[in-house]
Amino acid sequence: MTTHPLLDHLNSLPAADKRLLMAFYGAALVALALGVVFGAGTALARAGFIDLSPFYGYRVMTLHGVTIFFYWLYFVQAGLLLTFSATHAAHADRLVWRSLAWTGFAIMAAGFALSGLGAGSSVPLLYDAPPELAREASASVGAFYLGYLFLAAGLFCVAAASVATVLMPRFTGHTHSLSPIGFAAIAWAGLLMVSAVAAINAFFPAALWAFEKGPLPADYATGWHVLFHNLHYLPLMATVVTWYVLVKALCGIESIYGPRFSKIVFSTYLIFVPPTSLYHMFLEPGLAEPVRVIGSLLSLFISVPTVLVFLLIVASLETHARAHGATGLFGWTRLLPWRNPVMAAIGMAVVNLALGGAFSFVLIQEKLAPLLSDTFFVPGYFHFLTVGTVTLTFLGALCYVIPGLTGRPLRTPRLLAALPYVATAGLVVFGAAGIAAGYLGVPRRVLDVSYAGAAPASWQALMTAVGIGGTLMAVALILYLAGLAATWLSRAPQPAPLNQGLPAVDWSGKWGRERAWAGPLSIALLVGVMALFTALAFELLRAVPLIANSGSH
Amino acid sequence: MNEDVWLLIVVFVVWAVLALGYAFVPMFAMPGYAGVWGWGAAIFLALAVLIAIAARGRPKHRKVPAHQDHE
Repeated sequence: MTTHPLLDHLNSLPAADKRLLMAFYGAALVALALGVVFGAGTALARAGFIDLSPFYGYRVMTLHGVTIFFYWLYFVQAGLLLTFSATHAAHADRLVWRSLAWTGFAIMAAGFALSGLGAGSSVPLLYDAPPELAREASASVGAFYLGYLFLAAGLFCVAAASVATVLMPRFTGHTHSLSPIGFAAIAWAGLLMVSAVAAINAFFPAALWAFEKGPLPADYATGWHVLFHNLHYLPLMATVVTWYVLVKALCGIESIYGPRFSKIVFSTYLIFVPPTSLYHMFLEPGLAEPVRVIGSLLSLFISVPTVLVFLLIVASLETHARAHGATGLFGWTRLLPWRNPVMAAIGMAVVNLALGGAFSFVLIQEKLAPLLSDTFFVPGYFHFLTVGTVTLTFLGALCYVIPGLTGRPLRTPRLLAALPYVATAGLVVFGAAGIAAGYLGVPRRVLDVSYAGAAPASWQALMTAVGIGGTLMAVALILYLAGLAATWLSRAPQPAPLNQGLPAVDWSGKWGRERAWAGPLSIALLVGVMALFTALAFELLRAVPLIANSGSH
Repeated sequence: MNEDVWLLIVVFVVWAVLALGYAFVPMFAMPGYAGVWGWGAAIFLALAVLIAIAARGRPKHRKVPAHQDHE
């Protein structure tokens, strides 16, 4: 037996549940592997290390976006949602409506195949797939949209199975209140359902047009923006819920504010989703000026839920650590089990979230959005979130969940504990060069930025750094995949405990009136950094002899 | 009504107000936004109702130890 209750719970799930969950994780890892290869190809082409024709380059970029942003992030979320529902809903010990979840998996897998087929054979549409870019309706363009619609339908089925799993013990009288993670799973599943509706709203008219059954959608951009906004929030919400689960598993702590406050914090994600969505429309020429101002003000609230969860987790950790003798303003953090791959991934995810979050606030301001949205600033900052925060968190979770489900101890744990730092080093090179390139006006979706020698020399130098950073990131992610695959596929019986003696701390038990300032001080620092980079953006962009008047982010 | 239900009711209210705003306030007129947030409001209301019904339907003779209710 292990000393990790969550590992024991995973290990005791019925074999049929384990097969389903591993199917989701397997599909997620396949999508990630493909996406990393396509992403590395894109970065190397931008750096000039390999030569891709513009048409082929856009196809590779499209495949990168589709496989990573849609299929990796949503297969893994589906698996984690079901895993947390089955292991954290009070008195749940198995998945309910498993056949519906399998149906969802099958539909999502069909969507993956269709999207791949469409992206590989049609005009490269990039991941947002505006129909105007295709110019002509065709079956291959239709397959692209159909893939997204299948993904949406599959996610709806998975979300319904998750809700049933969480609520069934309540229907049968085993509990009268949801656990915080049970409530978070309901909220997360609800947002997945809404996003499925948003995907149908965006892609169904486009699919009809592509199969010559309807007109060219008149307002595709609005439908895409509202979906895209949900697709920003969903992975972030999944990330913080995963932190909450894993920090408890690794450190044995409870929220010092109690379960009800945790539920309130998780519900803030849902409360802040719709009001903060207007900033995606800033580049639409028909948007009324008062709406732009209101949207700009509301966008300032976008990080409130994530900051609240961060404060809740950090304050709870610090209080428990101090109750167990830790000292120093930030000295208690040294006691965390950093040599555990899961903790290392979470730690670097937090650092990357701070960096990505600071720069995202620069971008979503109404006056800066038109200047930066079509520059390399955008991929420069958002990889801190997509790779550095979300992907590292999910990979860290898989380092915990796959051993629990397969009964095989994690392979190469020391390497896996080092990879978050390698990936972050690659990100810093990629992100710093990319953001600097954006400030200097390097366009976002042009693979060859030399413009036959007419462009500033600094542009290509920065793209070379982007290629180096991107390659480092790709190597780290491929090693992650290798370590997880080795764990999954190892055949030898493993008598060792599942946690393999990986570092963890046990800070469970009572706490007193300890002070916990690390969280609030971190947020104050973050606000200062955001103000600094916003001021820098205004100063630099005033000096750029460019006028931007269209685009999207 | 416990917090599981009323928190989702608050979510429903926020989403419904936004949907109505996007549907009926001329300055914000964006039918796509109104439709999605409106469907979202309906989904969260349905979840809140489902949780409330589940709570009402539980057998009263079963006593659940408090420590098992929050994991």
